[in-house]
Amino acid sequence: MESNKKYWKGLEELNRTPDFVEKNKNEFAEPLPIEDVLSEAGLSTVTPRRDFLKALGFGLGAVSLAACQTAPVHKSIPYLIKPEEVVPGIPNYYVSSFNGQPVLVKTREGRPIKIEPNPNAGGFFRGTDAQAQASVLDLYDVSKLKNPVLKNAESNWAEIDKFVTSELNKVKASGKKIRIVSASVNSPSARNVIADFTGAYPNTKHVQYDAVSYTGIIKANENSFGKAVVPKYNFDKADLIVSFAADFLGTWISGEEFTAQYVSNRDMKSLKNGKMSRHFQFEAAMSLTGTNADTRVPIKLSEEGPALIALYNALTGAGLSGGTLGNNTVADKAIKLVAKELLQNKGRALVVCGSNDVSTQILVNAINSAIGSYGTTIDLDNPCKRFAGNDAEFAEFINEMNRGEVGAVFVLDSNPAYDTANAKGFADGLAKVGLKVSFADRADETASLCDVVAISNNYLESWGDANSYEGFYSIVQPTINPVFNSRQAEESLLAWSDAPVKEYYQYVRNYWEANILPAAGKTWADLLQSGVINTPAKPAGSYTFSLSLSAVVPAVLSNSKSLAKDIELIVYESAPIRNGKYANNAFLQELPDPVSKVTWDNYIALSPKFAEELGFKEFDVVNIKDDKGYSIDLPVMIQPGQAKGTAAVALGYGRTKSGKCGDGVGKNAYPFTSFTNGTTKYTTTVKLSGTGSREELAQTQTHHSFEGRNVIREATFEAYKKNPAAGSGNDHAKHKTYDLWDKYEKPGNNWVMAIDLNACTGCGSCIVACNVENNIPVVGKDEVRRRREMHWIRIDRYYSYNVESGHDEEGAAGSGGKHSEHSAGISSVTKEKEISHLEEKDMNDVSVVHQPMLCQHCDHAPCETVCPVLATVHSSDGLNHMAYNRCVGTRYCANNCPYKVRRFNWFNYWNDSRFDNYLNNEFTQLLLNPDVTARSRGVMEKCSMCIQRIQAGKLQAKIEKRPLKDGDIQMACQQACSANAIIFGDGNDPDSEVSKALRSERVYYVLEEINVQPGIGYMTKIRNTGTTVHA
Amino acid sequence: MRDISLIVRRVWKSALLFTALSVLIVSATRAQDPVEGRKLFKENCASCHQLDRNSTGPALTPKLKELDEAFAIKWIRNSPALIASGDPQAVEASKFSPAEMTAFPRLTDEQIKNIIAYAQAGEPKKDGAAEGGAQGGGEAAAEGVSNFSIAGVAAIIIISIIVLVVLGRAIKLLERLILKKRGVEVVEEEEVSFAEGTKRLFRNKKFVFFFILMLVITLGTYGWMGMWDTGVHTGYQPVQPIKFSHELHAGVNQIDCQYCHVGAFKSKHSTIPSANICMNCHKAVQATDKYDGQISPEIQKIYTAVGYDPETMTYDKSKEKPIEWVRVHNLPDFAYFNHSQHVVVAEEAIRKAKGLQPNEPVCFACHGPVNTMEEIYQYSPLTMKWCINCHRETQLEVKGNAFYDKIIEAHEKIKKGEKLTPAALGGLECGKCHY
Repeated sequence: MESNKKYWKGLEELNRTPDFVEKNKNEFAEPLPIEDVLSEAGLSTVTPRRDFLKALGFGLGAVSLAACQTAPVHKSIPYLIKPEEVVPGIPNYYVSSFNGQPVLVKTREGRPIKIEPNPNAGGFFRGTDAQAQASVLDLYDVSKLKNPVLKNAESNWAEIDKFVTSELNKVKASGKKIRIVSASVNSPSARNVIADFTGAYPNTKHVQYDAVSYTGIIKANENSFGKAVVPKYNFDKADLIVSFAADFLGTWISGEEFTAQYVSNRDMKSLKNGKMSRHFQFEAAMSLTGTNADTRVPIKLSEEGPALIALYNALTGAGLSGGTLGNNTVADKAIKLVAKELLQNKGRALVVCGSNDVSTQILVNAINSAIGSYGTTIDLDNPCKRFAGNDAEFAEFINEMNRGEVGAVFVLDSNPAYDTANAKGFADGLAKVGLKVSFADRADETASLCDVVAISNNYLESWGDANSYEGFYSIVQPTINPVFNSRQAEESLLAWSDAPVKEYYQYVRNYWEANILPAAGKTWADLLQSGVINTPAKPAGSYTFSLSLSAVVPAVLSNSKSLAKDIELIVYESAPIRNGKYANNAFLQELPDPVSKVTWDNYIALSPKFAEELGFKEFDVVNIKDDKGYSIDLPVMIQPGQAKGTAAVALGYGRTKSGKCGDGVGKNAYPFTSFTNGTTKYTTTVKLSGTGSREELAQTQTHHSFEGRNVIREATFEAYKKNPAAGSGNDHAKHKTYDLWDKYEKPGNNWVMAIDLNACTGCGSCIVACNVENNIPVVGKDEVRRRREMHWIRIDRYYSYNVESGHDEEGAAGSGGKHSEHSAGISSVTKEKEISHLEEKDMNDVSVVHQPMLCQHCDHAPCETVCPVLATVHSSDGLNHMAYNRCVGTRYCANNCPYKVRRFNWFNYWNDSRFDNYLNNEFTQLLLNPDVTARSRGVMEKCSMCIQRIQAGKLQAKIEKRPLKDGDIQMACQQACSANAIIFGDGNDPDSEVSKALRSERVYYVLEEINVQPGIGYMTKIRNTGTTVHA
Repeated sequence: MRDISLIVRRVWKSALLFTALSVLIVSATRAQDPVEGRKLFKENCASCHQLDRNSTGPALTPKLKELDEAFAIKWIRNSPALIASGDPQAVEASKFSPAEMTAFPRLTDEQIKNIIAYAQAGEPKKDGAAEGGAQGGGEAAAEGVSNFSIAGVAAIIIISIIVLVVLGRAIKLLERLILKKRGVEVVEEEEVSFAEGTKRLFRNKKFVFFFILMLVITLGTYGWMGMWDTGVHTGYQPVQPIKFSHELHAGVNQIDCQYCHVGAFKSKHSTIPSANICMNCHKAVQATDKYDGQISPEIQKIYTAVGYDPETMTYDKSKEKPIEWVRVHNLPDFAYFNHSQHVVVAEEAIRKAKGLQPNEPVCFACHGPVNTMEEIYQYSPLTMKWCINCHRETQLEVKGNAFYDKIIEAHEKIKKGEKLTPAALGGLECGKCHY
């Protein structure tokens, strides 16, 4: 039966604020100024006959003259010497890796235009994250430096080399220290280059730090088990996952990979086998992971420590003091329940914690040891190599500089003047260093303080490698010659250390042929073909925590006490912008945050009740001030589910020197972090005060509203086990439908899609993949505020209360067949405007469903019947075509689309100076997919179901004279999805994956009651709530 | 009888004029068509024969002038048979070259006569507009009534009017003569001045109405046709930076299209060849014989582009300068066209639909007889109507292509017996070409 839950996208929708009601009334938020025109001169003026004739004459003359143009002269310039492997019009694919994820780079005529997952990657590297999808834009970023810089002037490599080597020799002679400071380097060859450099200049030390640090975990594992590593987490082996503020589906360590692991226990295949993991999330700020949890318990930051102690006590029966949660009775109950369930799932459970505090992580280690996670869900013997940062070493490095002991600093792949707790200390210290070299690709916050900016290549221009896990290696290979006059950082270091092999390609190859390839029995050519080398994993040992917690507990408690004294602030990595490294990427800036749906800004998230208590309304700009005196002004974003008494601000914003697109977007939250107890701490206390001003965030959550129609169907796992069709509306008679239109014949293929709401985590990488594939423009903050974002696929995020409203509820969800036909009937699904009847509940206790929404390719599409020029028509293979060259822009179709998936081009985004900072410039236009038209102003567009891929796949099969196979054609969104939530294929083929998926009892069609016969089936969201813990 | 002789003379004059005009019309419509002959010549003969110069075969203009037509037809139809039959003239003729002339059994007498007419007349003097018109018109004949026949009809109408006027005058004269003979006093018609006549004419309402109606119809028709042709560049032949001759390369030298246009069978683009492909041959082929021992200036342009020094036979990368060809076939950006789809997958279907000969590449279906184009021009209109017509009418050849098996099966169920065209498989849907 359908759940009687009511879903809402934002508080304004829930509360029916006048502004929302007004804006939502019409398809397009802003009416055209027709009345203004008419009331001014408009109709009242008389056009004299002579003027009319003059205009007519001129018009005719102009048209005739325009038509007189004989023939266009377009130059067509072929290659002079065509590279053998390039055939214009045919893409080439190269294996590479992005931040340790194996990827495929699609190039056309030598230009990288798209990143796709590497099918050889194996393991859980199934999709790509939004950053990887967007990274190809960074290659063409015009804000990058075009030449290396020496003392603030453009220079050339010969001069740079001369300057740096002579300075280095001076430093060497003086005996001063040389420091290479970088983010974690997971490339074995690059580590070797640094080792070689250290060999040439023995005073060198490599200092690694990460903007968002995992030192806490590394130190804790060193302390507990003698292994200073980030372990390999196996979420796929965990039937019960308990996370304390670890956003493991989003930003924590390796989100995409963990998503694939996590979903493998929750997707349709797992559900078919009657298996679904259970996931508890305890956190203050609503994270992407929190939105996916079966049970999410908001706790204050100061309650995290006590909660962990309480959990440890409950698990082991130990009597550590401090394990009380005060008046947070929900959390108290939840911890007891979690403890009980963890003990039932020994060896099949996993507890993770997002804290960077060593003591807290030691406590988590003790808990994991108590539930037998080591050797099963946590693998310390094949550790993750992506993070090796050491906060203490970095702090010491700043001290060294300030003491004047450092003679030379090389900044590699990092931006410490921006993304560290003590950025000022770093900048001050750097001023005392003789030779300052940055390898940044632009004059960023750090590079602009350096003498030399030895601009390094983008990864798409580089040779290199990555080692994400013990025994798992991948290659980075260039797909284009450097766009600007840049040189890879490793090559610069080799040049300056006067290494025998100065060419980095040869260096990488030598390293692999000596160290990695022989053991795997592979050749260099094999590697360039497959992209990865995966040596068999070592057996994961079982480890037992045997140390005393007596020193740990007081540290945890004092930390918690220090937070409890005021408003508790957590600064976190936002899913689109992450640590700020990609702040100048327009695709990422316009990607709505998965939870708040805010674009182009950071904000301070407060819970509804708490904001009310403080007297702040949504979008009020408040001043946030910490103990050290740092303060910023940010607008308030009311976030249901945020723990009361806490606030959250995203890192990665407030860049000042990232480039045209990212500068001045949001405010910098890094100064709120601090170096405490040997690690960087991301929590603090702040005071908030109103500034009296208001700033509207560009928030997409209530754009494209369903007007309160119920489009989500949900069931509990228990109900599902009894009746797989629970909640889907498929287990009872559907009401009779009538149709005005004839049935379309689909003799050949019938392209359809299935979307598993239980697999989709809402991460948004599909959106960026779609943007890049389909030449979708970026419109900027102001245009997003006007509801004009162009994304063809969006992810609707719905909140609902966990406690049912009761008045129209008959039989609790999960009672399978007991419902009466009537109550379960269609009425409960379509009742409109019911949201306004909801009373406001405890806003903290909300659950979330993410729903990807794109053109449904309806068989009886309402858009088609209203188009006056037949620009959108149906095809014989089940698609809704959109012919841009026919569209005259009446926008009737968008008005008539019940799914609100049609987008109107208000501007000629690819040729309008207002959009120069995003994608409209001579370099970024190289990113355009040549197989997709760049739409012009005044036409409507929407998801085409990647028709260019369908046509290309069909053609390939025709040329090869073979039948089209299931899986030959993949959608861009489907390809990027690590969770495998999107399945595309031929509905006429009963054996295709999509046909199998659509036969599932869980499948429902959004708004199926209006009988537009959509081509995309959704599978019910299943929540493994078990025993619920609600206040 | 001065008057009578006058009449006779006038009638005679009229008759002469009439006859002359009739002959003209008849010859214009019935005589051998050198235009057709030129086309046939380029298709069939040009690989071995030139008009004014001996090549593989003898120079045709002088040769055909000296031969009698009956023999020429027999010879062209099947020279080996003629030689074998022992015809002395044929045996004599065969001594020109050891290479035997190909037989053309499918050419009709009419066609051969056309060729002879063309060869005897020689290449017409190049008159830019007429040339273009004749080519464009002649080749686009399938599209509608050719310009030539329109001109013919117009000429006939005009001539008829003239004849009628002349006859009318003759009759009037005769009548007056008869009347005079009978002694009836005929009032000499006062000679009306031309200006006065015109004035009178314009006072005639019927005439004015008719005149204006005609004017409107004429202008309207031209305007309408002109507007339909806006943006249609059939016959577009821009001046290219290098005077590259397809006639020489594809026609005379019989180089396969794919040798240079490497993408056509793999990609959406047929691709303009890169200069390295030119250099495959032109490193050796320099046409020095035609330029007094100098390298052909056009070939020199390739050398300049790739930075090649023919003296030292070395390349200089720093001197490379891409060749900026002018695109002849300009499809709008919003239309997707894929060469490989047409020339690989649909080759057989297109061949049949367009009636191509086995020795002609499938490319000719849309690009026309490229092997006869001295300079390449746009042969097909490239309009959407043109695309769609072909997709409606072409019968697909799907045998042996496993891709279609399932689709055909489904299709058969629905439309039993109907012609299987791209349109039947959804080939006319907007999204198939516009995305």
